[in-house]
Amino acid sequence: MKRTLSVFAALAMALAACAPGTGATTASASAKASEAPVKGGTAIVAIWQEPSSLAPHYANQTVSDIVNYGVLEGLADTTTEGEYVPTLATKVPTVANGGVVVKGSKLDVTWELRPGLKWSDGSALTSADVRFTWEIFMKDPKVNNRTGFSEIESIDLPNGLTAVVHYRSLYAPYPRNFVALMPKNLLEKEADISKTDYNRKPMGTGPFKITDFKAGDSITLERNTNYRFGPDKPYLDKMIFKSVPTVEVALAQLKAGEVHAVWNLSASQTPDVEKDAAMALQVVPGPTVERIELNTAVNKENTDPNSVHPVLGDLEMRKALLYATPKQQLIDKLLFGKASPGTSPVSQGWAAYKVPQEGYDPAKASATLDKAGWAKGADGIRSKNGVRASLTYTTTTGDQLRERVQQVLLDEWKAVGVEVKIQNIPSSVLLSGSCASKDPRKLGTFDMVQFASAPGIDPHSTVEPRYSSKNIPTAANCAGQNYTRFKSPEADRAIEAAGATLDQAARKAAYATALKALNDAYVIIWLYDRADIDGRRAELRGWAPNTWQRFTWNIGDWFLKK
Amino acid sequence: MSRYIVRRLVQALPLLLAISVVSFAILKVTPGGPLAAYEGNPNFTDDDRIRLEHAFGLDRPLPIQYLSWFSGFLTGDWGYSFASHQPVLSLIFERLPATLYLMGTVFLVVLLLAIPIGVLTALKQYSAFDHVVTGATFTFLSTPTFWLGLLLIIVFGLDLRWLPLGGIATSGAPFDVGDRLRHLILPVATIALVQLGSHVRFLRASMLETIGQDFLRTARAKGLGERVVVLRHALKNAAIPLVTIVALDVPELFVGALVTEQIFGWPGMGRLFWDAATRSDYPVLQGILAVSSTLIVFANLTADVLYGYLDPRIRYS
Amino acid sequence: MARERFMQHRLALASVFVLATLALLSALAPLLSSYDPERTRLLDLYEAPSGTHLFGTDSLGRDLATRILYGGRVSLSVGVLAVSVAVTLGTLVGMLAGYYGRFVDGVLMRFVDMMYSFPRLFLLILFGVFFKGMTPAVIVIVLGMLSWMTTSRLVRATFLSLKEREFVLAARAVGASDRRIILRHILPNSLAPIIVAATLGVASAIIAESTLSFLGLGIQPPTPSWGNMLRDATSDMEKAPWLAFFPGFFIFLAVVSINFIGDGLRDALDPRHAVKASQVR
Repeated sequence: MKRTLSVFAALAMALAACAPGTGATTASASAKASEAPVKGGTAIVAIWQEPSSLAPHYANQTVSDIVNYGVLEGLADTTTEGEYVPTLATKVPTVANGGVVVKGSKLDVTWELRPGLKWSDGSALTSADVRFTWEIFMKDPKVNNRTGFSEIESIDLPNGLTAVVHYRSLYAPYPRNFVALMPKNLLEKEADISKTDYNRKPMGTGPFKITDFKAGDSITLERNTNYRFGPDKPYLDKMIFKSVPTVEVALAQLKAGEVHAVWNLSASQTPDVEKDAAMALQVVPGPTVERIELNTAVNKENTDPNSVHPVLGDLEMRKALLYATPKQQLIDKLLFGKASPGTSPVSQGWAAYKVPQEGYDPAKASATLDKAGWAKGADGIRSKNGVRASLTYTTTTGDQLRERVQQVLLDEWKAVGVEVKIQNIPSSVLLSGSCASKDPRKLGTFDMVQFASAPGIDPHSTVEPRYSSKNIPTAANCAGQNYTRFKSPEADRAIEAAGATLDQAARKAAYATALKALNDAYVIIWLYDRADIDGRRAELRGWAPNTWQRFTWNIGDWFLKK
Repeated sequence: MSRYIVRRLVQALPLLLAISVVSFAILKVTPGGPLAAYEGNPNFTDDDRIRLEHAFGLDRPLPIQYLSWFSGFLTGDWGYSFASHQPVLSLIFERLPATLYLMGTVFLVVLLLAIPIGVLTALKQYSAFDHVVTGATFTFLSTPTFWLGLLLIIVFGLDLRWLPLGGIATSGAPFDVGDRLRHLILPVATIALVQLGSHVRFLRASMLETIGQDFLRTARAKGLGERVVVLRHALKNAAIPLVTIVALDVPELFVGALVTEQIFGWPGMGRLFWDAATRSDYPVLQGILAVSSTLIVFANLTADVLYGYLDPRIRYS
Repeated sequence: MARERFMQHRLALASVFVLATLALLSALAPLLSSYDPERTRLLDLYEAPSGTHLFGTDSLGRDLATRILYGGRVSLSVGVLAVSVAVTLGTLVGMLAGYYGRFVDGVLMRFVDMMYSFPRLFLLILFGVFFKGMTPAVIVIVLGMLSWMTTSRLVRATFLSLKEREFVLAARAVGASDRRIILRHILPNSLAPIIVAATLGVASAIIAESTLSFLGLGIQPPTPSWGNMLRDATSDMEKAPWLAFFPGFFIFLAVVSINFIGDGLRDALDPRHAVKASQVR
């Protein structure tokens, strides 16, 4: 029942966040057109990963999204403020505008499509395509995941422009359920879509259509003559996504003018771009915080949440580790200032909690440890009651920035008398989020772990699973994400209270209480809020930042200044 | 001779079978697994994992998985990539032309340069030319390929801006021979310089050995011109070991130069293997391993047979 | 005789000197450099080579020259140890196959054929993915396991040709054990090609290690190896080209010296035999 309540609260928030039927304004129209766009031309975007599939139900890589923003559209989109706006629908259904009806623990959502929509092959897009999309996601055994779709009981089609989606639960993120529609006429007779052209060249309604897919080389998009904002948009005739081996080569090609834009530069490359007037950067602060989580329970498989870590179980030790972490220096030197110090997992949106943790002060760290009885030994490493201050520090293998951060911190912590050993694990294991795949965070087999994970749009889906003591993963129930084994009755009460009310101010205060309790326990060092950094040639215009999406999200507005 | 070939072919079969079993086993013990790519996704649940394992046939006993792969392999159905769901055979054929194009060029360049240089260094043993070439061959033999590639990129791509930084052709431009050739220069140079070193060394050594032999003295004594002696007699004999080495290079035409393809962003087999390896895409890896080890086995066989054919002193029984 | 021939090989002699210097400098690294190879200094990032930092500093402000010395310890010893594993294994297999012949020989040589038939770099990459975050010990074992076959063929060949020779037959006639015949009579005679192959093998192992580390599958930071230093340098190729130059140059220096030594040894010990130095591409 509690779960239902909190989901309901989340739902209410999602509904409140929806812009009331904004009609003709669309997400892409919000890009500020400071100068007259020029039509025509080909823009080349360097990508240093290759999409293995572009079909929306198979695609599983960020790079697939980057390409697909130009091709696929869904019913609604997210603005940079985190609000929902309609794309192919006339409005985002809400309780207020009558589009959403809550029936006990179920939910009916009515979507109205814009009239006259066409697929890029010229055939009509109807509400049957909405239902077909759901059916494919449920039917195709190779589909990546069924998030949202598995909550749908049935879809009614009263007419060609209306789809009524019956959810069997109060599925709050319903506006983002249908982010890419799939064409029924093209696909319904296919026994296995993975064996069709659609796998690499999905058909959509977006500004472009995919005309060529050269594996390992390039993906070519050409203007969709049936685009609903045509013939004005898109401004560009052609987009080419060019595979390059590494982000370094991507930048070199950007400098040489061989490409117009580069996806996801590393922070250390930004000075090169900034000093060259022919290039520009777009740095979008994201909602994702890079952090180090400290295990307060004993480091062993299926650890007992109530056990106490011999070193990290000591609050003073955890404090000292924070004091000896030079966040600002890491940001200045390793991220070239392209991030801000982390404060909490909820750094964006209405519930943002931004009370900074204490700053870098190694002397204070040493003093704290001295006072707590951690005495330095002959080798400079502290110990207390025969327990040596020796810890392992884990992150994903092969991530250059994380490895650099680790090496700096290893040194800083050694200077205050804490020995740290790096023990990195491939992301496929470390971030698997599954006990079966031996995710050490789930099993409790780590001392310190550095990672980042994106928060949900509603803060409850971030705070509750991660910091409620009910959500400490155990052998019996592996689902929770409270990896530090943080247990605070105060935080539990606040989280529960936040989930039980619809009052935004009260919820915000409750989350603040919980997050303060979390920070007062010193179980997580918030390193920095990550930013998306993309580079482009100065002549490529029309870019607009979007916190919740990738840089190609408004690709129809891009143009090349002559 | 033909009996020998038949015998070797018959011997090759169990060998290939063993190779396929072993490579299958190696792939299976690699942790992470093909579903690892999905697991970073917060929406990917245990149910999804079980469903996909079933869809990919990973929930069957290992011997069954192997047998079904093997029977498919024989009938031309090499399975489907776990990552892209494309048929493995078509993924390979998609990448093969780029690799053949790159490695074929390397092959020709190396042969065309190695033979005259190797012969000249042997004829002018201990001359300045010989010393320079020997020094150069050792230099390139000892240079890590990836470092040579990086240096070439820094010098000719980044500093001088004479040549493109990677790729097989300029994106979005119409087909142009000059453009293709310019993209070819650096990767070919990277591989060829290293290979050239070993081939020149080899040819020089075997030329030197041949030149000292009796039949050449006889040829000279018969009054044949030096040119004829060198080209007709010495080179022919010295080339025998080279032929075998060249035959052993052939599998590389297919497999490609992984590191070089990686550095230069060449859309060939090497990158296909690399992408598949980092994603634990078993069917693709298994396919590439099967083809390349088959090629190696047959290249060895061909080298042995050619050796016997060219050098009558060797008899196979 | 062999020694004289080697001494005449001037390049090989010079190479012995270079390599010995490299090894000595690496071994004495803590005495030679006052810098800690793993101590990061965020205020001194990317300093160009100068008097204080002979080869400049890297992306974390560490003295590159110091890291080269410490990296040399790893790279050189991985090369030598991997070859020790390979030579031991290869000699064992070659001995058994060559001495006992028949069935043992057949089985072992088919196994060698099989090992030869895998593309080596591909297997290395698979093992790299398998052991992601390889320690030097694991790299030594993996490289050793993938490069013993040449030795085993060489050893087998000498055993095949020697085991019917008079001195072996004589030893057997006086009742010497198999073990004694193998170790005392035949093995010493096959040392020459083994030594040459092993020397060249070290060069190839150093390159293989650096290639793996370059691909991110080898030795993990903060432990420096020449290969992973190069990998770290690739993202700063324009900003700090010296970071890419020096580690590569030292790999080259070590490998070229070893190749010259191998060449000299071959001329000295085994003038007729030619072994192709195989390289990982």
